[in-house]
Amino acid sequence: MKRLIELTVNGELHELAVEPQATLLDVLREQLGLTGTKEGCGTGECGSCTVLLAGRPVLSCLVLAMECQGQEVTTIEGLSVDGRLTPVQQAFQDRGAVQCGFCTPGMVLAATALLTENPRPSEAEIKKGLEGNLCRCTGYNKIIEAVKLAAESFNQK
Amino acid sequence: MEDTLDYVGKPVPRKDGPEKVTGRARYTVDIRLPGMLVGGILRSPHPHARILNIDTSQARRLPGVKAVITAADTAGVKHGFVETPRYPADQDPLATDRVRFVGEEVAAVAATDPYVLAEALDLIRVDYEPLPAVFDPEEAMQPEAPEIHPSHPLVKEPFSNIAGKTETQWGDVELAFEMSDYVRQDRFESHLRTHGYLEPQATVASFEPGGKLRVWTSSQGPFIKRAKLARTLGLPYSAVRVSKAWVGGAFGGKIDLFSHEFCAALLSMKAGRPVRIEASREEIFTAYRHGQPLILEIKTGVKKDGTIMAQKIRTVNNCGANRGSGVVVIFLAWGFVMLPYRLPNLKYEGYAVYTNNPIRTPQRGHGAPQVRFAVESQLDMIAEELEIDPVEIRLKNARQSGERLPNGDNVHNCGLTQCIEKAAEHTRFREKYGEKYGRGRSQPPQTNEQTPSGSIRRGIGMGVSAYFGGSLIYPNSSSCVVKMGEEGGATLLTGAIDIGQGAETILSQIVAEELKIPVDEIQVIAADTETTPVDIGAWISGSAYVSGNAARVAATQVRRKLMHLAAEELGVPVEELDMAQKSVYMVRSPEKRLSYRQIVEASIRKRRGDSIIGEGHWRTMRDEPTHPSLASTKGRWSENYAFDVQVAEVEVDIQTGHARLIRAVTAHDCGFPINPLLVEGQIDGQVSMALGHAFMEELLMKDGRTLNPSWLDYRMPTAHNTAISEYIDVITEAYKKDAPYRTKEVGEGYVSAILGAIANAIYDAVGVRLVSTPFTPEKILRGLGKLT
Repeated sequence: MKRLIELTVNGELHELAVEPQATLLDVLREQLGLTGTKEGCGTGECGSCTVLLAGRPVLSCLVLAMECQGQEVTTIEGLSVDGRLTPVQQAFQDRGAVQCGFCTPGMVLAATALLTENPRPSEAEIKKGLEGNLCRCTGYNKIIEAVKLAAESFNQK
Repeated sequence: MEDTLDYVGKPVPRKDGPEKVTGRARYTVDIRLPGMLVGGILRSPHPHARILNIDTSQARRLPGVKAVITAADTAGVKHGFVETPRYPADQDPLATDRVRFVGEEVAAVAATDPYVLAEALDLIRVDYEPLPAVFDPEEAMQPEAPEIHPSHPLVKEPFSNIAGKTETQWGDVELAFEMSDYVRQDRFESHLRTHGYLEPQATVASFEPGGKLRVWTSSQGPFIKRAKLARTLGLPYSAVRVSKAWVGGAFGGKIDLFSHEFCAALLSMKAGRPVRIEASREEIFTAYRHGQPLILEIKTGVKKDGTIMAQKIRTVNNCGANRGSGVVVIFLAWGFVMLPYRLPNLKYEGYAVYTNNPIRTPQRGHGAPQVRFAVESQLDMIAEELEIDPVEIRLKNARQSGERLPNGDNVHNCGLTQCIEKAAEHTRFREKYGEKYGRGRSQPPQTNEQTPSGSIRRGIGMGVSAYFGGSLIYPNSSSCVVKMGEEGGATLLTGAIDIGQGAETILSQIVAEELKIPVDEIQVIAADTETTPVDIGAWISGSAYVSGNAARVAATQVRRKLMHLAAEELGVPVEELDMAQKSVYMVRSPEKRLSYRQIVEASIRKRRGDSIIGEGHWRTMRDEPTHPSLASTKGRWSENYAFDVQVAEVEVDIQTGHARLIRAVTAHDCGFPINPLLVEGQIDGQVSMALGHAFMEELLMKDGRTLNPSWLDYRMPTAHNTAISEYIDVITEAYKKDAPYRTKEVGEGYVSAILGAIANAIYDAVGVRLVSTPFTPEKILRGLGKLT
């Protein structure tokens, strides 16, 4: 039996009828059409489905939608304002940190959460912050560089 | 007048970057069609069994089930990675009377939701009679082994399960061995790895009223998918349209036709509704196609000074339950042996052997990592015996510009010697290698991170590789169309697919360069079998060269039209004109100029509205009829060869046996880098993949079943498993306006030399010679005598 929940996604309030077994990922992708959040494994191993729940990064494939009742979710679609890329998005673009792009939404959100909490991360802290997100294309070096660059622009603001 | 390059050769950021960082890029699984059903596949639980009966009646009766298919519903047309007279198509899209590997596709269902789908798959009853199975290729070759398929009729030896054989020779190896000062024979083995693309395989198919099948699928080339779907479904090509979706990585794993693609299409045809099939990660690990472990036996004879006299090589490929690309790997293994070093005498034989394992497919490098690991390791063993340093022996044998390869190809400009010298110099290889630095030293001279204890040894090693850039495999050539827009920008129509390598970006750069239009103002319409021209695909290492030259020719046609129109308008000869910044100007008085917008207006006014369009076509080895013989290696292979040298610096902990890559230096002859930023990305990705190959990744199988079907257990590199990656571009080609260019491949060659380099570096560090991948702590401790 479906249950009703309220979910604020990227600043918009939604009333949703969800299956009890539906994950936050299912609801975002299938009910709200927010397909920027990716499913790479469905078992919490790859980080592609990372979203921010109450500002903290979570694996949306492991979170039941019903657990999110009344909470605020930010997906990749909710980051840029007025069509302008955020410093993290811009740094990924400028530093060549994007290839196939499938891990990118999760990476960008993980990096955003890291820099929000720790605006001046060391390289080891960056690696720690991204350790749950797999990327097969880049070998991570350019992603780590991009996060460093984004940190600089975060801190200049 | 010297051309200045404005857009080509520059680190232009990806055109698709903004779409991808904002989550707007649409991949196959993101496509939503009205009434779309979800499809899934029932797979064999047995490695080898006869199918006695399939009963789908209960599944069909389940509410919400809209279509169920088995082999009985198909047109009975087989397909294969290779489809030639010698190696005809051998795969059924759905199993008929037998299954030959765990995970083989037996039936498929389309249902209204995933829960109904799962229940329906459970309700299909299949009666199997298990048959004896064999998993090891050398066991499968034995005459008494269970027969998976009959051995190839043209193979005369009394081996079982031979899918195919490649055999070639030149010179006289036996005589050359006699004339050699030193001969040694070694055996090397590699292990099973998977591609690890982040985007699971997925297909959306929609059979539309009027008989058109629309398909979106995670692929490396829409044209080959269309051809194979059309044939297996019994449809004309014109009834199948494969359209673009972004592809979340492929690395060779998404080339061939997969059963889920066929099933999505057939289910949609049966149900009359769109169907989406998405493979689970577990399915990909257990039933999809991985790379190909090779066994290589190499006998090499050399002169005292290190000159290679002869090699005798035997390769055995565990190619799984059907031919897949197994018979291609044994051909390519020959190629990767003979490319980088002069080899006056060779005897080569390679066997692709059926086993009851999943079918194999290309994996980035397609045999080169396995081959170069073996050859480069043995070369260092020889060098040590002869007391020659590893740099010297490689310089001694390296091919030079203009050399003709034994198959008749020419290497043209070859920067291998420069690559070796530059890599050695940049890494201070000669200072670091050997006693002075590695073996015997208790403390590393430098580390970039804290040294945990005195048990760390550092070593340095070198490897060489070479790779072809484009060959003749369907659809053989690429075409492009460029059309001018009203505001002076341009649109490129290309069948090329961007799988993350940046095809759309580099093709835009080429059009931008030829027309002097900013890259941002080039729109790309790509990868649609109906609206874009044919393209070779992103799987034969020829995109930048073949599709790139096609885009260049198309843009050149547009340029000529713009110039002639401008000449008419300005009333001056065309020779007096040049173009810059979206306008044509008089060279002598640059203030006399017409913007492209004005020229397009003039065209509309004076040419009855004709638009300005250019078309370009390119085929590698233009006059060759087809690809070389996989069986005999005869025939031309490529006209572009890239060469690279990689140096690895590793740390090995002699207490734990744990080794890691600290630094990788890639010196590469990439011809001309159209986009240096993307080239760096390709190198970094390959170094990382090789790091995983060397130290972390192994798909463990027992009796045809995958033991570690998840990323928790199949360990791919994370952000913690990185190495410093440095690049030295050796540029051997030039890009000139209006002239064909010969760029080289950068997407596959750099996953190979590094593997041999790592093995050699481990030897340098601790004196342990590893003859099989991966380089595990257990093997290293065993080599150190600390484990028995």
